[in-house]
Amino acid sequence: MGNLYHNKLAQWIVYVVFFAALTIIPMTVSDSFLLNQLATYGVYGMLALSISLCWGFGGILNLGQGIAFGLGAYGMAMTMQMQSQTESNPIPPFMLNNSLDHLPLFWQPFQSAALGLLLAVAVPTLFCAAFGGIMFRARVSGPFFAIMTLAMLSAFYTIILDRQPYTGGVNGLTPPSSFQFAGVEVDPYSPTAYWVVLCLLAGATVVAKLITQSSFGLVTQAIRDDSERVRFLGYSVAGYETVIYTISGLIAALAGCCWVMLVQYVSPAQLDVSFSLSMVIWAAIGGRYSLLGSILGAFIIQGAQSYLGDTFLATWLLILGGFFIVVVRFLPNGLASLVEAGLGLFERRRPTSSPAPDGGRPMPAE
Amino acid sequence: MSGLLEIRNLSKSFDATKVINDFSMEVVEGTICCLVGPNGAGKTTTMDLITGRIKPTSGTILFANDDITAKHEHLIARAGIGRKFQVPAVLRDMTVEQNLEVAYSRQTNPFRNLFKFRKEGLKQKLDEVATLAGLTDRLKERAGILSHGETQWLEIGMVLMQEPRLLLMDEPIAGMTEGEIEKATRIFKELRKSATLLVVEHDMGFVRNIADVVVVMHMGSLLAQGSIQEIEADRRVRDVYLGEQEAV
Repeated sequence: MGNLYHNKLAQWIVYVVFFAALTIIPMTVSDSFLLNQLATYGVYGMLALSISLCWGFGGILNLGQGIAFGLGAYGMAMTMQMQSQTESNPIPPFMLNNSLDHLPLFWQPFQSAALGLLLAVAVPTLFCAAFGGIMFRARVSGPFFAIMTLAMLSAFYTIILDRQPYTGGVNGLTPPSSFQFAGVEVDPYSPTAYWVVLCLLAGATVVAKLITQSSFGLVTQAIRDDSERVRFLGYSVAGYETVIYTISGLIAALAGCCWVMLVQYVSPAQLDVSFSLSMVIWAAIGGRYSLLGSILGAFIIQGAQSYLGDTFLATWLLILGGFFIVVVRFLPNGLASLVEAGLGLFERRRPTSSPAPDGGRPMPAE
Repeated sequence: MSGLLEIRNLSKSFDATKVINDFSMEVVEGTICCLVGPNGAGKTTTMDLITGRIKPTSGTILFANDDITAKHEHLIARAGIGRKFQVPAVLRDMTVEQNLEVAYSRQTNPFRNLFKFRKEGLKQKLDEVATLAGLTDRLKERAGILSHGETQWLEIGMVLMQEPRLLLMDEPIAGMTEGEIEKATRIFKELRKSATLLVVEHDMGFVRNIADVVVVMHMGSLLAQGSIQEIEADRRVRDVYLGEQEAV
C-alpha cells in the first residue's frame, strides 16, 4: 500500500497545486469571453465532483443530477429576472406575453435577492433529502435507483416545458442584466465571476475531500462495498445514503446558480437527460473514485468539445462515444487509475523494507 | 432467572413451508449457548430472525427485556447484538484495518460522523482485537485477498470491535486449523466473562469444549435443551442428529 497515490498528504499537496494553477488563469487570460468559458468549465467541474462523491464514494449512480442543477439554475434565473423588474413593471415580460396579469405566488419570494438565492439552493437540496429519503428507506438501490432518478428528471423536464406562463417553457428564462448582490454587480465576463466559481469549486472540493476522509466517508465506502453487512454493524444505511445524495445535490444546486450567473440563461435543456448523462460520463472518464480525476474529466471532455466539436461537428459525438467505450473497457476506473498505476510502478522500484517517508507525519485532514 | 435473549413461540413460514415452528429458547447472560441441529433445522434462519434480517410470521424476541421483534437490522445491532455470518461477510474492497474501524460503531449518527476524523479509544481497541485475531501483520491488506481462515478471524474481530452484549456466531470455526480452533476455544471462553454468546456449530468437539448449554433444533422446532452430557445421552438427539454423524 506504499503507493504515493493513496498518501493523504500528497493528495492535499496536489489539490493545493491544482487550485493554485486555476487561480493564476485570470491573471494571464485577457480575453473576457475565454475567461467566461473557463468559468463555465468550473461549473462542470462542480457537477463532476458531485457525481464522484455520490457515485464514486457513495456507490449511488445518479442519472438525474440535472434535477438539482436545473432547480438551482431556475431559482437563480428567477432571482436575476426579478432584479430587473421595477415597481412600475413588476411582472417579467414572458408572463405578460402569456397573458398572466399577476406575479405567481411562488415567484414572489424571488423579489428578494437573498431569499431567492437561499431558495435556489435550499429547494433542490430539500428535494434530494426527501426523494432520497423515500427511495433509500424503501431500499431502492443500484440500477433501480438510477432509473428512478431518470424518471424524476424527465418529470421535471416535462413540467417546466409545459408550464410556459410560469417557467418560460421551452424558451426558458433570460434575465436581461447580470447578477447583483449586496451592491456588487457580478459581470459574467469579469474575473469576479471567475473567482466566485473558483472559490465555490475549491470549497466544494475541500469539503468533499474531508467528507471522504471522515468517519462518515468510511461508512459510505463500506456501504458501497456491502450495504447488507454494514446494517448489522448498527449503521442506518438509508440515513447515510440520503445524506451523501443530498450533499451531492447541494453541490449541483450551487453549480446551477453559478451557471446562470455566467450565461444569464436557463432552459429545460439543462434538465435534459443527455446533460445529466454527460455529467456521469465526465466522472467515469476522469475516474469516479477520484474527486480531482472527475473534475479533470469534465475539463477534458468539455474542453475538447469546445475546440474539437466545431471541427468535427456531428462526428464529435461518435468520437466521444468511442472514447467512452475505450475508457470503460480498458480503464474501468477512469484516467485517474492510470496515475495510480503509474505511481504504483514507481513505488515497487523502491525498497519496501523501510516505510514511506511520509508515513509518520500527521495527516492534514486529521 | 430471565435470559438476556428470550425467544418465545417463534414461527416463520416461506409460502406454505414452515421453516421455524413454535420455537422457544433463552440465552442466559454470561454463558455460551450452542445451537446445533441437522442441516435445514432452521439455525441460520433463527439468527436471521434475531438480527432482523427477516421478519417472523409470529412470536416475539426479547433482548434485555426489550421487544426487538421485526425491528430494523441497525437498531438491533445498536441494542447490542453482533453477528458473524455463516459465509464470512467482510468488506472485501477495504483494508483489514478499515474493516475493523467501520465495525467500531459507537457513533452511528451520520451527521456526527461527518465531523469525526478521530475516534476515541479506536487505536487501543484495534490493536487489542487485531492481536487477538492474529491479524496485526495484515492490517494494510485488502480484506478480499485473505485466506478463508483469516477472513473468519477478521469477521470475528469485527464483531468484537462492535463490543456487543450478545454475540451471534454462525459456524465460526469452519475452515480453521486445529491450532486455530484451540485458540478460538480460548477466546470464546474469555469472551464469556464480559459478554454472552450464541454459537451455531456442527463440530461437536468444539461444542463440547465451550458450551454451557446446548440447544438442539430439528425441523424448525426445539428438540432438546440442556448440558452437553444431557444432550449426548438423549436418544431423540442421537436419532436425528448425532447418530447421523457417527454413521459418517
